[in-house]
Amino acid sequence: MSEIIQVTILGLALGGVIALMGSGLSLVFGVMRIVNLAHPSLIIAGAYVTYWGFKLWGVDPIVMLPVASLIMAAIGVLIYRLMFAREAKSARYSEMTVLLTFALAMMVEGLLGGLFTNTQRVTSPDYATAAFFIGDVFVPKGQLYAGIVSIVIIASLSLFLKYSRLGYAIRATTQNRDAAELLGVNVNFISVLAFAIGIGLAGAAGSLVSFVFSFFPAKQWEWIAMLMSVVVLGGMGSILGTVIAAFSLSIIAAFVGTWVGATWSTMTFFLALFVILLVRPQGLFGEKPELA
Amino acid sequence: MALSFQNTNADDLLAARRAHNERLARRADQKRATWFPVALLLVLAALPLVQLTGNYNYVLHLVLFTASYVVMASGWNILGGFAGYVSLGHAVFFAIGGYFSGMLLARLGISTILTAPLAGLVAAIVGYLVGLITLKVRGPSFIISSIALLMIVRILFDHWTFIGGANGLSLPINDLSVLWAKVPYYYAFIAMAAFTVWATYRIKHSKFGLGLRAISKDEIKAESAGINTRFYKVLAFASSAFFVGMSGAVWGEYLTYLRPNIFLIILVSANLVLMCILGGKGTIAGPVIGAILIVAINELFVATMGASEINILGTGLVMAIGLMFFPLGVIGTLARKDKLPRFLNWD
Repeated sequence: MSEIIQVTILGLALGGVIALMGSGLSLVFGVMRIVNLAHPSLIIAGAYVTYWGFKLWGVDPIVMLPVASLIMAAIGVLIYRLMFAREAKSARYSEMTVLLTFALAMMVEGLLGGLFTNTQRVTSPDYATAAFFIGDVFVPKGQLYAGIVSIVIIASLSLFLKYSRLGYAIRATTQNRDAAELLGVNVNFISVLAFAIGIGLAGAAGSLVSFVFSFFPAKQWEWIAMLMSVVVLGGMGSILGTVIAAFSLSIIAAFVGTWVGATWSTMTFFLALFVILLVRPQGLFGEKPELA
Repeated sequence: MALSFQNTNADDLLAARRAHNERLARRADQKRATWFPVALLLVLAALPLVQLTGNYNYVLHLVLFTASYVVMASGWNILGGFAGYVSLGHAVFFAIGGYFSGMLLARLGISTILTAPLAGLVAAIVGYLVGLITLKVRGPSFIISSIALLMIVRILFDHWTFIGGANGLSLPINDLSVLWAKVPYYYAFIAMAAFTVWATYRIKHSKFGLGLRAISKDEIKAESAGINTRFYKVLAFASSAFFVGMSGAVWGEYLTYLRPNIFLIILVSANLVLMCILGGKGTIAGPVIGAILIVAINELFVATMGASEINILGTGLVMAIGLMFFPLGVIGTLARKDKLPRFLNWD
């Protein structure tokens, strides 16, 4: 029994971080219909920002989070202006943007690999390896903190989307781009804003990832499929769906990892992605089967 | 013309249609330069003779490497170019072909050059089964599912001890002298490349190819025009897997070892996509031109800057620039401007 509780807690602790990693992806897809395959590589870029902050000046990764987030958001604006703004009129927009983000992912990986080599990195604040004990069950401190921070960020994102004027505009653009434009929403500005928020979330996730997982530039390929499975299961564009999917898949993966074998826990995500795409391409909370 | 329609019977109409089609075909024949690929093939077939005058293994390697990618990119083109289903998971069939023939070579000692068509068939069967499942979705979903397929197969191959797991498998080295060791594989790849280009030409101009092109333009309309889109798509997936698998089979023996991190990496898939897009998706000459360009660019990067990370960066950069500024590729852009030189018009 305590094993079950233990594994569930480990799964929950990771679920928060994975939800944060996926939420930016989901937001970008929701507003711009861009399936951003470069998201994981930008998360890793954010992790490097945090890593160097920690390594050079000893700044705590969680303190570094807003910095990494802002830097990545700025890079996001740049990327959007350079790569995607011109594609808006393209006839095969969705396919074009997938391939472009794929190219972007390779560029970021190559750049990071060239600058920092492909060795495994991890930031090691003292809480990264510590744990709380509740009876027999232990809760790793680093993952708990990362989970809490993630939930706080996602909650504030939801509040922002729900109650602020810009949030209204973003949600309107998600629901119906043309109608939103007709009602006076500056759709182009909203697109840039949402892209910047999405990539900023990638930077924030990167800061947490830097002490929860170890990372290196080529790790993105493993994460692409993992995040895609979370976002597709949740329904692309739905933040709530992403959070629920992240927690459920990461708990399942934790059980698979304990009972079947550690290497198979990542397989859970890939197989889940495969099955979801075929059974219910719009995911749990997606409304339109746009991807199908 | 329009006025006389009421008086013509069906036979006349069919005859007129046939005459019209023949005129179009004749015009296309006049514009097409069949002599060029044939001449190119003859030159390439004679190329190993340079080995008599010195060691030109590097030249042979480059041509062979390009030819292997011509086979794969042309194969990918059937699904990605003709049918419009972009797959980033075709490295899976490369690995299946390589491992199937490689295992036969390691256990039974049969040369992969002989078993390559068989390896292609195995890859095609796997492709058919995978296609039955994944081709239900299209656009971005299909692309994502193909990446997921690659990830799943990579984990399976990494942990399948029968085929050597993550450490891979060494294959016996042939006992030819250094000068001639590459030549059998050279001819195998040249022959496969020629066959693939010819086959894609035949496919493009068959009813099947026409159906695929209809699917890429508008699948729903194609379906309502009476095309069995599901069967066509799956068949396209299988035939593209066939060529990729065939190339993988010989590539394994050429390298003398099989390892998941050589065959099952996304860079292989990305290269296929890149070659087709850069050369011109859906054209016959496109993948060939693309393969030549990408191999040349890769060699340039490796020769001048070495590191593989720079190579990845370069590949991504070329891909992004190609996509943004030349979405139709070399052949497509030239053809649109009506400036396609005759010798490149193979369609």
